[in-house]
Amino acid sequence: MSHSPMIHCHDLSHFYAGKAALNKVNFELAAGEPIGLVGPNGAGKTTLLSILCGFVRPTSGTVRLFGQAPGTSALNGKVSALPQDAKLDPSFNIGDQLTFYARLQGLNTRQAQHESMRVLDAVALKDSIKEKPDTLSHGMAKRVAIAQALIGNPELILLDEPTAGLDPVNTRNIRSIITELSPATTFIISSHDLSELGRLCQQILLLDNGNMSSMQLNASEQNSPTRFITLQMESCPTTEVIAQLKQVAGVLLVSNPQKNEFIVEYNPAIEPKIDIKILTCLMDNNWHYRQFSQGKTLEEKLFFEG
Amino acid sequence: MPSGFLNATLLICQFELKRLFFTRKGQLSLITFAIVWYFILLYPIRFSADIFAQNQHSTQGSSFFEFIGFGALLNWKIPEFGVYWRFALIMFPLLCITIASDQSCSDRERGTLRFLCLRASRDSLFLGRFVGVMTIQTLLILVTVLTTLILAIYRDINLLPIALNSATAIAVNLVLILLPFTAMMAALSVSVKSARQATVWAILIWSFLAGIISGLSYYLPALAHLKILIPGYQMADLAQLAEWQTLELAYIPLLQSLVFLAIGRWIMSRQSL
Repeated sequence: MSHSPMIHCHDLSHFYAGKAALNKVNFELAAGEPIGLVGPNGAGKTTLLSILCGFVRPTSGTVRLFGQAPGTSALNGKVSALPQDAKLDPSFNIGDQLTFYARLQGLNTRQAQHESMRVLDAVALKDSIKEKPDTLSHGMAKRVAIAQALIGNPELILLDEPTAGLDPVNTRNIRSIITELSPATTFIISSHDLSELGRLCQQILLLDNGNMSSMQLNASEQNSPTRFITLQMESCPTTEVIAQLKQVAGVLLVSNPQKNEFIVEYNPAIEPKIDIKILTCLMDNNWHYRQFSQGKTLEEKLFFEG
Repeated sequence: MPSGFLNATLLICQFELKRLFFTRKGQLSLITFAIVWYFILLYPIRFSADIFAQNQHSTQGSSFFEFIGFGALLNWKIPEFGVYWRFALIMFPLLCITIASDQSCSDRERGTLRFLCLRASRDSLFLGRFVGVMTIQTLLILVTVLTTLILAIYRDINLLPIALNSATAIAVNLVLILLPFTAMMAALSVSVKSARQATVWAILIWSFLAGIISGLSYYLPALAHLKILIPGYQMADLAQLAEWQTLELAYIPLLQSLVFLAIGRWIMSRQSL
């Protein structure tokens, strides 16, 4: 049995007016857990997703999804996406359009109507089925666009900024949908919300200036002789906190990347129960913490790690 | 041709029909068309047909119509269809430039084409929209031809067999005439950002292309053959023919349509959405 990658990109480049949005990007992705795609504005995330969806032809290089070129009929219904800023046709109601999309994916009329109801229910918009797209708020329109991506049983769903503009309740709802459908459906999620990606993804692709690097979130710390604890404190004296934490046995380094945030690097071989020691230190000094977490934040790992 | 492609093309075509009959904008267009057509039928066609019917066998009348360039109308067995034919040759191409102008541009600018392209090939989208718009125009042609037929047999019921023949000839011809116009609008629609731009470009191409080719052919007469690429090129000759004779020129719109569809498909397959 062959184990060909779900996505294969070789020397993928794309230029806009001579400026490289993607510069000889090479990567392979296997089906499974959600994959995060991060990078600064203009890094090429949307371009990469557009190429994978077949919306844009790359300037050079090859792309294969399930062994097929993007945009080919063999991928219809197999690959789905939430494209950035795409809107539904204002002339038709939402239900009619989702039913039409489901019919294009090969469902009969009855199945398609049922499917459009199901996906709208999944994003808590079942009652809006007869509404026109123009009557929806930005957040509701985003949820409808997510609903269209869920039609049928796609094996790969590419989501471009799925939770941008959503309220916390619906953000959690989208997160639940992704968690429920994984790993039967593989999600690639482009987002600036790193805490969201940290919760959902085990693998992160970082695009910067058209170049790509990949990171396995668990592997990076488990292979290291030192570990990290991130502390978010309530208002506290920074210098004193650093001095006191350095006194704890096993602590190698304490840094203060932001106000009231501390990253403690320690050697687990010296003190395996360091978390209890640190908490005791905080309690003894009457300092209150907001969050105590193992490891560095995704933001630190991706953008500020030396 | 794969069945998936045909199914998608058919579904997209059906959705275009739904846009005309079940959306507010489509229904408004239909009502406007019906009102305009009612007045054309009631006044120019009915009155002109009466005049033609009265003068058809008079030498003086025939000379007059030939003098003003409408002599070919006398070849029609039913004058209502003769007048209708002249009106339709102008009205339907103009209507086509308007109703066929937004085959894909709005959807592309809005991003709706991205939703569609995840589920259907660009070819089926391009062809489905084209077939959809052609179906709508064919329906409008059939309605107008049918109402003209009713008008003719209301005057004289014995005209029914001849009227049916004329009606069929006209309907087939009009559909053929509209093919290249619709294909040109399909190609323009994939190239520009709005329906208005597509309409403006169509008018520019239509008017200037003929002028440019005429100008160039003055110096290089062989270039005059390029006129065959202008939609409606054959219409001046068509107006001089009657009923099934008009099919003699059918190869011109068919050839033009194929060229425009090939250009439009080529652009659509390469453009970014």
